[in-house]
Amino acid sequence: MNGRRFAIIVFIIAIMFGTVVLVGISKNTPLVIITSMIATTIAVATPLTLGALCGLYCERAGVVNIGIEGTMLGAAFFGWLASIYMNTIFHFPAMPSLIVGVMAAVLTGGLFALLHAVLSITFKVDQIIGGTVINILASGITGFLNRQMFFGAGSVFHGNIPDSPGVLPTIRIPLLADIPVIGRVFIQQPIAWSAIALVIITQIVIFHTRWGLRTRAVGEHPRAADTVGINVIRMRYFNVIIGGLLAGLAGAYFTLESISSFQPDMTNGRGFIALAAMIFGNWTPFGAWSAALVFGAAQALQINLQFFRTLIPPQLAVLQNSYVVGLAPYLLTMVILTGLIGKTIPPAADGKPYEK
Amino acid sequence: MKKFYTLMAVVLLASMFLSACGGAAPAANGTPTAPDCTKATVFCVGDVTDVGHVDDKSFNQSTWEGVQQAKANGTADWIQFIETSDSKDYAKNIDTFAQAGYKVIVTTGFNLTDPTYAAAKQYPNILFIGVDQGLQKDANHPDWPLPNLVALIFHEDQSGFLVGALASMMSKSHNIGGVFGTDAVPAVWRYGEGYRAGAAYEDKKNGTKTTITNVYHNDVGFNLTFTDPTWGATTAQSMIDKGTDVIFGGGGITGNGAVDKTASDKVLAIGVDTDQYYTLPEADAYLLTSAMKPIPAPLGVLIGLAKAGKFPTNGQYYGASGFAPYHDVASKVPANVDAEMQSLLKALTGGTLQTGVPDAKPQ
Amino acid sequence: MQRPDEQGFFKNLQRWLEPLLVPVLAILTAVILGGIIVKVVNGDPIAAYRGLIQGAFGSPRALSETAVWATPYIFAGLAVAFAFKGGLFNIGAEGQIALGAVFAALIGYALPGWLHTSLPAYIHIPLAVGMGMLAGAIWGGIPGALKAYTGGHEVINTIMMNYIALNLTSFLLNGPMRDPDPTDLSARTPEIAPSARIPPLFNIPGMRVHWGFVLALVVAVIIWWLLWKTTLGFEIRTVGANPDAAKYAGINVKRTIIITMAISGALAGLAGAIEVTALNYRHELGFSTGYGFDAIAIALLGKTNPYGVILAALLFGAMRNGATRMQFLTQIPTDIISVIQALILLFVAADAIIRFIYRIRAHEERVVLTRGWGG
Repeated sequence: MNGRRFAIIVFIIAIMFGTVVLVGISKNTPLVIITSMIATTIAVATPLTLGALCGLYCERAGVVNIGIEGTMLGAAFFGWLASIYMNTIFHFPAMPSLIVGVMAAVLTGGLFALLHAVLSITFKVDQIIGGTVINILASGITGFLNRQMFFGAGSVFHGNIPDSPGVLPTIRIPLLADIPVIGRVFIQQPIAWSAIALVIITQIVIFHTRWGLRTRAVGEHPRAADTVGINVIRMRYFNVIIGGLLAGLAGAYFTLESISSFQPDMTNGRGFIALAAMIFGNWTPFGAWSAALVFGAAQALQINLQFFRTLIPPQLAVLQNSYVVGLAPYLLTMVILTGLIGKTIPPAADGKPYEK
Repeated sequence: MKKFYTLMAVVLLASMFLSACGGAAPAANGTPTAPDCTKATVFCVGDVTDVGHVDDKSFNQSTWEGVQQAKANGTADWIQFIETSDSKDYAKNIDTFAQAGYKVIVTTGFNLTDPTYAAAKQYPNILFIGVDQGLQKDANHPDWPLPNLVALIFHEDQSGFLVGALASMMSKSHNIGGVFGTDAVPAVWRYGEGYRAGAAYEDKKNGTKTTITNVYHNDVGFNLTFTDPTWGATTAQSMIDKGTDVIFGGGGITGNGAVDKTASDKVLAIGVDTDQYYTLPEADAYLLTSAMKPIPAPLGVLIGLAKAGKFPTNGQYYGASGFAPYHDVASKVPANVDAEMQSLLKALTGGTLQTGVPDAKPQ
Repeated sequence: MQRPDEQGFFKNLQRWLEPLLVPVLAILTAVILGGIIVKVVNGDPIAAYRGLIQGAFGSPRALSETAVWATPYIFAGLAVAFAFKGGLFNIGAEGQIALGAVFAALIGYALPGWLHTSLPAYIHIPLAVGMGMLAGAIWGGIPGALKAYTGGHEVINTIMMNYIALNLTSFLLNGPMRDPDPTDLSARTPEIAPSARIPPLFNIPGMRVHWGFVLALVVAVIIWWLLWKTTLGFEIRTVGANPDAAKYAGINVKRTIIITMAISGALAGLAGAIEVTALNYRHELGFSTGYGFDAIAIALLGKTNPYGVILAALLFGAMRNGATRMQFLTQIPTDIISVIQALILLFVAADAIIRFIYRIRAHEERVVLTRGWGG
């Protein structure tokens, strides 16, 4: 992720924003549109960024993880369930319930990751399998439990929908948040803020600490790492679990920050898009983040082109078709990032079990 | 030692298969055992869902609630549902009930129109209720109306019209929006267009100019379009950021996400299908109303008619359309607005006012 | 003390059962664990499994439906397994299936009109199915070409192309390919011509199993033959095992990657094409919900071997099919099937767990299924 690449990505996002500004200028001021686009971009990018960071920790240590989707889904369910229990059964106030919920989600993510670690590292099972197992298992177990707990008179809650403690409150950056219009960008909920912070922290951890050096060594040349005294198995375990905790936080976004309810399979494939973002980002935190932002911006483009549909000039009538606009995020992300990034290079030992 | 385990495994496996296939069934604990539905005196009602889950907080769930009411009020002796996991199973699932001697089979969603019609022809002695299945006499359904098939349908455009009118009157910024699942489903499209028509009607009447923005979730597969609350929330947020101050969340869970987000941003939200005051309690403080498509009550009526031998023979049964009470927001709704809403409701249901929305999106 | 001949008998039996033992025990363990979960939530596991087995195998009709379910699973499982053999991960089967179905339907309903003539079935069916395969091959080939020439990773491109395919399908079914009959409110194509329909195996009402199932078995054999008995197969496997070595051995790696992805896509497209021509007779929204992702599990469960894929697909098909009856009899949510499937995959893959539980000695041979992301 060098400066030039970053500049190009900013430029592309600016073009997307500019398109919407041009279309919508007769209805909203450019400032309002840009602010709203940034807000949407951040909202879409938050779970993708965290999911991509999960993949990054795993793969930097040499473990492929396609189970991000399932990990997020499981965490979304159990985090939400914990907050419901705290709020409804134990009568905690909303805020502590939500915090317990987030902790439960993060923990769930860690447990799923532990399963993946045991399979991939200890039992040396093909690493694609561990992730696939997690994806199917999470979908099944959350759907099954959601049914048994909330549906019908015979369920745990007798078919009543318990009061949820709501969503996490917004956090304002002092001063910046007071700027008219643009200030909106500096009012975000905690998980969105922590996603940004974690990108920076991950960058430092992976590239500027001993831990990161060892992690990368384990992912590139495990045998060499072993000979200099690094415990390969231990490093892999820890990194996979750290990744799981991050995917768990991404799960919390769905049921504790974005909205306050759970729906079977609500992650809707975002775990796979997160995986793609990580690869697009060439296994670097800022790269993954910028890929997530490109996707978020493309989503914002799609939503806003529908929003301003009636203002689209007739020469561009094709953009009034919501199906055509609907495929824009994916097509744009693919074309831009493939054209821009080209060949991505995974860690050398990615996906290979380590045998002494 | 190894031999022993090998042998044990084989024995275990064999015994499992034997116990599973043959042998007397031990009475299930907890779940009551099904009566013999093939007996003429036992009135069993089956419900085949569309692809998805019966606890979808949307139309599959509403239909099942209607069937459950039939059990609760004593009309049905036994009720059961089957969830469809793929569209190729529609016929098979209907058949499972038919073979078991069910007297009434309810099928949910307009995707089941053709399989239900075919099953009704195949089983003339079983009564079928097709929820959301707009049937008419045409090349594919030459024998409509069948005496044993009734389509339970709704004027979604009327409900959409009502909430659109209310949104237009309540909006201070004269920017209202709607967040929907895919408009490839006619019922969803009718909600959206009705919403637009209702707002335009009130605009004309009051000399206001309201911008109506409907955004449809067409960018994912059909199985995901109604079950993506996170997308609904993001879209609603984008609208609020641009000054929209009433948002209609129409379209399953995706719409619910929009309602949830809108209310948590302290902006007026409008629910869909049922009175969402009860299904989305977290949105109560800002839930203006809901566009109503109450399936359970008319479904209960139809099942009752089926049992009484008075099943309608004209092939169609319209459920009432309307809008839900304002509940917690009632104090914010001026008396003249409420009066207008009541008169609109009367005019629409009485047939003196037309929404002008066709049954499906013109091609 | 055992007599020598008795020992010989056991030895033979053992040798015969050996390869089956671990998978069977894995399934058994998963089934027991699933039963415990059902029991914990107050369900009746025996009744549930009886329903499942009745629904999957209990009657000729149940068997027929199991085969109907297994057919797309076999094709899609082969698609993913084939790409794995070439060292590629095709997450895009879902999109390839959808496009295969759309274009098979297009030829199925529109071709007679374009040619102003009716076609005999022996021409029309291959054209429709072939068009579906071609669409899938192109959709799979694009990520292959991107991988070969720009280095763009096939995982990201197949994921993105899934979404593009689904949007394209929605667009076509709501626009150009929509049934022009104004009374048809659904977003779907017209019905395909009778000449494009693959007939059922038996002419018995209710028995839907069709020649597509037989075709699936034949295609599995062809894929096995292609992989193990032809030069192309050797090249694909070599590139899959070690692309650097392949390059030094004079294999055109780029070409092989594209061919691998195109064949993989064609197999997935075939899954969609057969569903349209043999079963649904049209394409509609709401079709193909998750075959592409189930296919990954099936390919892995079958250890990427074509015959293994058949068995895995039959198992998954039987479970999905039997789930209806299980739910009908016991009201247990069908999600439990996913849980059991995940456990089966887990125990089959992690046979060390099974060997540990049942104290079976391990053989020191590990089959490499996938090669991770390697460049």
